[in-house]
Amino acid sequence: MLAYLAAVAGEAPYILSGSLVTLGVVCASLGLGFCMGVPLALAQVYGLPTARRLVAVYTWFFRGTPILVLLYLFHFGLFDALNLNMPALVSACIVLGLASSAYQSQIFRGSLEALPAGQFKAARALGFSSVQSVRHIILPQALRLSLPGWSNEYSILLKDSALVYVLGVPEIMTRAHFVASRTSWHVTYYILAALLYLAITALGLKLLRLLEKKTRLPGYNL
Amino acid sequence: MFKQNLLLLLISFFLFGGTALAAQKTYINGIDANYPPHAYVGKSGQPEGFDVEALDWIALKMGFQVKHQPMDWDAIVASLLAKKIDMVCSGMSITPERQAVVNFSAPYFSVRKVLLVNADKPLSKEEILKGNKILGVQRGTNEAEWLVQNREANGWNYTLRYYDSAPLAIEDLVNRRPDAVAVDSAPANDAIKKGGKDVRIVGEFAEADDFGVAVRKEDEELLRLINEGFKLLMQDPFWQKLQDKYDTQL
Repeated sequence: MLAYLAAVAGEAPYILSGSLVTLGVVCASLGLGFCMGVPLALAQVYGLPTARRLVAVYTWFFRGTPILVLLYLFHFGLFDALNLNMPALVSACIVLGLASSAYQSQIFRGSLEALPAGQFKAARALGFSSVQSVRHIILPQALRLSLPGWSNEYSILLKDSALVYVLGVPEIMTRAHFVASRTSWHVTYYILAALLYLAITALGLKLLRLLEKKTRLPGYNL
Repeated sequence: MFKQNLLLLLISFFLFGGTALAAQKTYINGIDANYPPHAYVGKSGQPEGFDVEALDWIALKMGFQVKHQPMDWDAIVASLLAKKIDMVCSGMSITPERQAVVNFSAPYFSVRKVLLVNADKPLSKEEILKGNKILGVQRGTNEAEWLVQNREANGWNYTLRYYDSAPLAIEDLVNRRPDAVAVDSAPANDAIKKGGKDVRIVGEFAEADDFGVAVRKEDEELLRLINEGFKLLMQDPFWQKLQDKYDTQL
């Protein structure tokens, strides 16, 4: 038993350092998803009919295609056809980011639509331009409202990130697999991987909950 | 004055030192790191294995740099064609299907294909093939293809169950989900000798396979380097040392 634990402890640092790769993938794709999700949501709520239709097609495509299919499609198909020789890590971040932007846009759309329609009109009446109204009146409220849904997106994306092992990105799951293959102790290292994912989920959710508390406006009610 | 000299020295270092370094081309070798003892990720987190060390030796002798890139076996030929990697030296069997899209070096290793069962199960090869059994196999391998293609003609009736890697198939055999698994002799021996798995080899199937290094059709220069490198390696005492180290003799 002691020898077993010592052996597992010896392998742990390699798998543990995979969580940095996992975190990198999650942060990059959440960031990309956020930067694209907000404009997509604004376009869908305030945009012209054509813009709305385009966003609808975009979200339909990325929400309707399995991430595994998207990974193969983009890494070996699209990026190759465009002559972009992307490293697997970059492909993974882009694909997860695009998929996440589709989900995030719907989180933000929900919040935008939950705001009373009068807010935008009132801001315009006070002399704000439409960009200013969105920037200073609408978004601060909508983003606060979005935080619980966004935390959910974080934990889903974290788990989706395990899929990028098919491209050979050396994240937690890939490394657990490698060590399992060499040592033939599959279950042990899958348990270790599960514990790591649980720890990262707990940590991230805690931080987001803190952010929620920090940004709460006392006495603010819709 | 001193500063100027230093600057000159630096410039000349970058110019000449740079060209000396640049002359050594770096090739990326895609490996299936779930295929011990030929290719796997070692304790240090670095790629190791029989094929990895052999290629490192060749690179040193033939004057090129090599970087080993672990990746999913399913997509390894796609990665080679898409130029994500430059070669596959990782226990890849030479098959006509693969030869249609890539070039192979001369064979450098030969493996048998074996059927494994739990050590306490009295199953014979015939019973596995004809007894309505569940047979585990790694996806994307030529043994999987062979088992599909030769099923009907021989009146065999096993059901194939596909796994991500050979070690995972063997693990599930230990769990007694498939009745038997079909794998290369190399990972089978590794699991029995090093992994201490309670399984035994009941027989062979198909013909023995030759491993070759796969390169893109247009990379004739690289193919020449690898072929010459293996010729040198096989005449060197290191070749025997490698086989002893990784226990590849059956």
